[in-house]
Amino acid sequence: MTRLTDLPPAQAKRLAELECPDFKTRPWVTGPALSRRRVAIVSSAGLVLRGEDPFRGRDPDYRVIPSETKPDELLISHISINFDRTGFQEDWNVVFPLDRLNELASEGSIGSVAATHYSFMGATDPAPMEPHARQLAGRLKSDQVDAVVLSPV
Amino acid sequence: MGALGHYLEEEGIATVGISLIRPQTENTKPPRALWVPFELGRPFGPPSDPVFQKRVLLGALRLLERDSGPVIIEDFTEDDPRAQRDPAWQPPAVPAGAGDNSGDGLAKRLGAEIPRLQDAHRRWVAQNGRTTVGLSGLAVSEAGHYVAEWVRGKSPPSPREGYSPPLLLRFAVDDVKAYYLEAAAAGTARPSSRQLGDWFWNESAAGSALYALRDACLASDDERLKLIAGNFIVPAARVRSTG
Repeated sequence: MTRLTDLPPAQAKRLAELECPDFKTRPWVTGPALSRRRVAIVSSAGLVLRGEDPFRGRDPDYRVIPSETKPDELLISHISINFDRTGFQEDWNVVFPLDRLNELASEGSIGSVAATHYSFMGATDPAPMEPHARQLAGRLKSDQVDAVVLSPV
Repeated sequence: MGALGHYLEEEGIATVGISLIRPQTENTKPPRALWVPFELGRPFGPPSDPVFQKRVLLGALRLLERDSGPVIIEDFTEDDPRAQRDPAWQPPAVPAGAGDNSGDGLAKRLGAEIPRLQDAHRRWVAQNGRTTVGLSGLAVSEAGHYVAEWVRGKSPPSPREGYSPPLLLRFAVDDVKAYYLEAAAAGTARPSSRQLGDWFWNESAAGSALYALRDACLASDDERLKLIAGNFIVPAARVRSTG
């Protein structure tokens, strides 16, 4: 039920007008056809593997989610309670569309699926996340990833 | 999320993001984004609808083949069919809402309610092959007991090393909610998140207990507890006075 319009007006306004970094550049990376791309998911849902230490607050680092992860092993530890979790409870693809990516790879719509996916905690200030994101880019490249789907909650 | 896309793209990785809040995305100006009209928490739309989800995912991925950016913000116009109420859904049988609303009374009602949902929760796990209960690292009965102690007005020590009591309370509350909402969704009906939330917050003893817990923690002198109470127990859209 948590669309922006369902929230108290002050909170909806705060979310809609959330201060964003004023970037000086507009980067734009092109690549091969989609059918040749290797795709990874980067979520901001605070996803953690079962048994792993949950995100404790606005932690700026990220967690690693191997492609072999099973749905029962993935939990949401996002600090916000103001979004629906029942969709994810029923079907992790609502937030983490790994099964759909695998299907697209089998059908040839994308080239392949990354060996590893990642999650940040989305309520974190972008500035402290920046070094972690730049370091993550190196990991993605070492996995030959050339396309990332960013999945918020 | 838009900032993450910016950093990755600066490092040479092409990105496309799902946008749930269009004004935010317009401010961040990411390289590519597909705005979706779904509720927060459902970036790829309805659960258990692979065809729909794939339309969203492919709609986003295809933006990678455009050469008209940056910035591309496109709209996905189909709404989530699972946002509709399912009139066939029946909430789980729990004792009637009215009762002893003292801290002790609510704690007892919560303690009695959790085992009553056990069969429904087992059905849920059998149906879906998973549960999302587990953040606190406690069994749900233990998580419920820990929450109940707080509802009684106590400040119990954390049973987990490295987790402060307020932090463990936050995770235990998350686990109790997950257990209830999963149990309530067991079966063949397809309730909307609103139906499930209405039941949890308006009908269950757990909902009443969490409202009372929020009020009690907000009145505390402990700033960490106030923070937990104000932000991590009752969703903003559900906050009301318990009178």
